[in-house]
Amino acid sequence: MLSDRKTLHVWLLMLPLLCVMIAVIGWPLIDTIRLSFTNTRLVGSEGEFVGLHNFTKMLSSRNFQRAFSTTMQFTLISVTLEIVIGVLVGMLLNQKFYGRTILRGMLILPWALPTVVNATLWRLIYNPEYGAFNAALLKLGIIDQYQSWLGQPQTAMMALILADLWKNFPLVALIALAALQSVPNDIRAAAISDGANAFRRFRYVILPYLVGPLMVAVVLRTIEAFKVFDIIWIMTRGGPANSTRTLSILVYQEAFAFQRAGSGASLALIITLAITVLAVIYIRIMRSWAGGTN
Amino acid sequence: MSSLDLSGVTKKFGSQETLKGIDLTLESGEFLVLLGASGCGKSTLLNLISGLLDPSSGTITLDGRTLNGVHPKDRDIAMVFQSYALYPNLSVARNIGFGLEMRNVPKAERESAVLEAAKVLQIDHLLERKPSDLSGGQRQRVAIGRALVRKPKLFLFDEPLSNLDAKLRMEMRGELKRLHQMLGVTIVYVTHDQIEAMTLATRVAVMRDGHIEQLGTPEEIYNRPATTFVADFMGSPPINMFKGQPLAGTNLIELDAADQPFVLDREQRSSAATDVPQKLLVGIRPEAFRLEPIEGGIPFDCVVEIVELTGPEKIVSFDVKGQRLIATFKPEHEFRASEKIRLYASMDKLSIFDAESGKSWL
Ligand SMILES: Nc1ncnc2c1ncn2[C@@H]1O[C@H](COP(=O)(O)OP(=O)(O)O)[C@@H](O)[C@H]1O
Ligand SMILES: [Mg+2]
Repeated sequence: MLSDRKTLHVWLLMLPLLCVMIAVIGWPLIDTIRLSFTNTRLVGSEGEFVGLHNFTKMLSSRNFQRAFSTTMQFTLISVTLEIVIGVLVGMLLNQKFYGRTILRGMLILPWALPTVVNATLWRLIYNPEYGAFNAALLKLGIIDQYQSWLGQPQTAMMALILADLWKNFPLVALIALAALQSVPNDIRAAAISDGANAFRRFRYVILPYLVGPLMVAVVLRTIEAFKVFDIIWIMTRGGPANSTRTLSILVYQEAFAFQRAGSGASLALIITLAITVLAVIYIRIMRSWAGGTN
Repeated sequence: MSSLDLSGVTKKFGSQETLKGIDLTLESGEFLVLLGASGCGKSTLLNLISGLLDPSSGTITLDGRTLNGVHPKDRDIAMVFQSYALYPNLSVARNIGFGLEMRNVPKAERESAVLEAAKVLQIDHLLERKPSDLSGGQRQRVAIGRALVRKPKLFLFDEPLSNLDAKLRMEMRGELKRLHQMLGVTIVYVTHDQIEAMTLATRVAVMRDGHIEQLGTPEEIYNRPATTFVADFMGSPPINMFKGQPLAGTNLIELDAADQPFVLDREQRSSAATDVPQKLLVGIRPEAFRLEPIEGGIPFDCVVEIVELTGPEKIVSFDVKGQRLIATFKPEHEFRASEKIRLYASMDKLSIFDAESGKSWL
């Protein structure tokens, strides 16, 4: 009886949010599914039902395959670097030193910046005529003349990844720092007097406390990186020569630039499916983590 | 044979002096308990001995070897922590053998040592489990096993029983005592629990604000406290303290709370101090009061206030001239609230302190 009323209560309280979510996510999703089976164009008359044609055409197209591999490249490299650098920075900030509190506070800044600001900032930094990046590398003697980092297919992707890394490693560093602070001092002390060297202390004392939170960070960041759009759109628009065109950019071009709403929708659904798979993995990990500790 | 020796050991954290000159000598096979309120520097002292911290000054030697500057792993000292500090994702067997594994002891040798230690602690059936599958008491045994297996010269325990419930704590206390007697190991054991100190120690060091207030056997600490602090700290219910003063030119001491002065038998006391303090504090343990007159006993006229039966004894609070007096009796004695009663304190259980300095007098 009591639990029935409680259930009713909970649903009542969630109802407004649910309505909004159905309106802004549910309905567009259903409409996208409907669109993906048609040859509807962005403007003009309603298209006809074409079955799985959009999907087969998309999956077999060169553009899709290239964008998929570009997305994978971006995701794998940026997430890996973020995790490695994030953990290292987290470990550094877990040391006792003067000014640590200020540094910890400053760490959040890149992450707190809107992506638009971050992307614009990095465009300035990479500017081929007066960019700080060129100036710094020239002064260090690494290059002998200014380069157009975002203008060359060979370097554009790495330049993008660096900008994305700068924005997102702080999140990983903060998660790692929080995890490191949960390592009991007594266990550290026990390992020292047991004679464990630095590597083995990391392996047996620190890592067990780091793995769970890091898995969460990995999956979250992977999902985010997989659907990356804004930073690339602002910095390169997918160019040069489509070398930084990820799946999200391709969807945008397909649906809005080429006005092919139907096949754009099918591509969007393919991405949604891929991200759903990642999300399921994420939930699995969270569950096993919540049930497996202590 | 002298085992552990500390001389003039201090520790500063910034400008705060946490340990203010510790001198301590420990014989091999002793069970020394460092007893003190939380924050008095017990863990810090233990960490100096184990090498997790470096002293600001002073020297520490173990079996004649100076330990200053020696890495913790090379000190031949094993430590057991209050939080057990087990490695969460290693099995019990690997937890116990971890110290040996890190020292590259061959696997077969390691395994037999682990099994031996586990048998001593009666946890040999748990060797394959993870720490998360163990109860608090079992975890503590694993932590002790991890120390035991290294066969160190010295064991350090930092409040090992504080996280256990009362019943288990008593059981583990007995277990520790048994281990100490069976293996003859040398132990420095930190606690804030006076019962643990009394029951386990061969000697107790009562610590206060970074120094040792008194070092002695449990009997000495309890029956002849060096200061009012030690007297207050030991014993539950606590010792009764009465203000008093010597009567000039006599052997008599007058207590504010008692109706007649009592004769101080100086021969019973160790030294014949000549400087007589103007103000005294006389400490009388709750169990030193009798209901029948005794030879030379100090009479107190009291009014019964509260009676509490703990089981083996009755704790009775009295009012004596506006001051609280607590005494313990056998449970069969009956007391009624507001009843007037005359109690007698036996002379041989008195502790007399200089009220100014708080130090024992005579
Ligand atoms: N690493 C440290 N840095 C600064 N102060 C410390 C440190 N360790 C202990 N202290 C201080 O030293 C005092 C004694 O601490 P501790 O030895 O842990 O006491 P106990 O174990 O007797 O409870 C405390 O006031 C504590 O704040
Ligand atoms: Mg402590």
